Amino acid sequence: MRIGMPHMGNLYIPFKALFQRLNIDFVIPPVNNQRTLSLGVRYSPEGMCIPFKLTMGNLIEAAELGADTLLMPAGSGICRLGYYAKTQEHILHDLGYDAEIVCLGVSSQRKLFGLLEMIKRLSNNAPWAKIISAFRFGLAKLNAMDRIERVVQKARPVEQVKGTANRLFAQAIKAIDQADDYGTLKRVQRDYLDQLNQATRNGNTQPLIVGITGEFYVLLEPFSNLDVEKELGKLGVEVRRTTFISEWTKFSLFLNPLGMNEKDRIHKAALPYLKRDIGGDGWESVGEKVLHAKEYDGLIHLAPFTCMPEIVAQNIMPSTKENIPVLTILCDEQLGKPGMLTRLEAFVDLLKHRRRAKVKT
Amino acid sequence: MIKVGIPRALLYYQYYPMWKTFFEELGAEVVVSPPTTQAILSSGSSRVVAETCLPVKAFCGHVLALAGECDYLFIPAIRSVKSRIYNCSKFLGLPDMTKAVTPESPPILDIDIDINQGKRELYQAIYKLGRRFTWNPLKVRQAAIAAWQAHLKYMQLMSDQDLNPLQAIERISNTTEVEPETPPDNPTPPQATIALIGHPYLLYDEHINHRLIHRLEKAHYKVLTPEMLTAEELESATARLVGGAYWTYEEEVVGAGGHYLESGADGVIGIMAFGCGPDSLMMDIVHRRAARLRTTPFMSLTLEEHTAEAGVATRLEAFLDMIQRRKRRQAEVCV
Repeated sequence: MRIGMPHMGNLYIPFKALFQRLNIDFVIPPVNNQRTLSLGVRYSPEGMCIPFKLTMGNLIEAAELGADTLLMPAGSGICRLGYYAKTQEHILHDLGYDAEIVCLGVSSQRKLFGLLEMIKRLSNNAPWAKIISAFRFGLAKLNAMDRIERVVQKARPVEQVKGTANRLFAQAIKAIDQADDYGTLKRVQRDYLDQLNQATRNGNTQPLIVGITGEFYVLLEPFSNLDVEKELGKLGVEVRRTTFISEWTKFSLFLNPLGMNEKDRIHKAALPYLKRDIGGDGWESVGEKVLHAKEYDGLIHLAPFTCMPEIVAQNIMPSTKENIPVLTILCDEQLGKPGMLTRLEAFVDLLKHRRRAKVKT
Repeated sequence: MIKVGIPRALLYYQYYPMWKTFFEELGAEVVVSPPTTQAILSSGSSRVVAETCLPVKAFCGHVLALAGECDYLFIPAIRSVKSRIYNCSKFLGLPDMTKAVTPESPPILDIDIDINQGKRELYQAIYKLGRRFTWNPLKVRQAAIAAWQAHLKYMQLMSDQDLNPLQAIERISNTTEVEPETPPDNPTPPQATIALIGHPYLLYDEHINHRLIHRLEKAHYKVLTPEMLTAEELESATARLVGGAYWTYEEEVVGAGGHYLESGADGVIGIMAFGCGPDSLMMDIVHRRAARLRTTPFMSLTLEEHTAEAGVATRLEAFLDMIQRRKRRQAEVCV
């Protein structure tokens, strides 16, 4: 049995650590690239969203590398995501790959146990102690990556030499990937946080603050949103994002069963405009606009083309009383970099004007 | 008398007799928007973002057509009508979205239907809806029971007499009992049987689908639709294709498609709306099934507001020609 799974951002690093520690045979398909996208677009139904097409490409590339057990998130009561695995299995079989898709339940009540039980099954019944220790180490890597990314988001607009933050971020991810004990991990994290702090300009420049919200996958997979965060950083904008995988894991695996929900605040803000959960992240998109209207200068709303919950959110957003400029970017295989850059530049110009006008009054 | 408006779009075709009975039992008058026209569709499209699917655009147009004609609009948020099977986000967000994009619409009566929350929640939701019209809980209960009976009768009528929703609604609205008409002695038997699969709001909205059923019947084809199958037939076909439904209205696509591909039809036409999330997956499943079975020809038509009548007519003609050729060849082989 050889395991493969699709990419989402750097999520492969903690999984790699987990699998290595449990001696599970696995492959990592190439990180998302043009070929992945072409394969995905070619074999997916045309009306599907970009997360489906990219994960389809990943699964095909994993199958090419000999993976026969593929992990895909699934569940009920969410958006089309719950149906991905079923369809993708059909497609893989039609292509002649005899792979089985194992579903990771992301909507069920007992996520943590479900996940641990699945790991146990995949690891050929390894002892629980070993599984839990490997799982913890994976989580530690995930947390380290996200902690550094938060600092990178802040550093990009105020770095002394352009491009330093991105370079350090790439190096840090690599170092975290290579770290194989807690001590190294901690040292790597401290090292890079220090370097990032040194690379930033002192002084009291106040960069524009742009929130970034929308659908989970396109937020977290830079290939699908054409590195929108880096591009905003180049334009001197500080990006704020509430969605991080480490946050999601922390809450949905450990704290939600205890009745704590990080999203309650966001949902409450959305209530006057959207009274119920509509699946996916539509409720959160509306809520974030309302909640952060005072805090941010602008908001970028990322959504995959044909995403049902985000279309509802996009329709509702303009009617909120809380007013803040919103730029919706629909991500699909047709999204081109120059087009997106032009829109970002225009948007940032608009925000600069608004801030200047505010300062004057 | 309080007037309640029901847009003639989306779930109208599934639940109209039920909703009508409920509100009339509570002493309200029910107003329905006129059949879709180009003006209705255009006014709806102008309010929502371009990526929104065609049926929702039409729905907004119907809401605008009802503005000023009624005191309340009835738009339920139907989350789930079967255990652990959920509906598309657009149905869940429909009341809030309508409110956001059509500020001039009358106040919206919304109700959350989610069977997974338990019967108690459901009854409470119905009661809360009924309280707008009467203080008497027993009267709400009576109205709800009458509405359910009307719904069952409607479903029965369609599967027993092979009627489509439009015909069945017409039959129910005619208060005088009509004798079931004896089929006229048709000198020419139908050329072949074509099954249409898809959601009722696409199949029976003649403006959206460019009078597809009418075209087929005029060319002497017998038309079958998902409503003509029993619940068991739909369920078992869905189970064969995908193991079990994931979407609330999956059976009318995957179930009906699977059933008609295996038996009963000479050709199957799948109708879907551009940008429809669930359909993009479900039609693909049916398509793959057709390709694997190789028994019944399958064509899928994707509709949007730019779909031209001539385009639909041409594709339909080509498909029907192909079916004719197949039939002729089969007949030759038999001889």
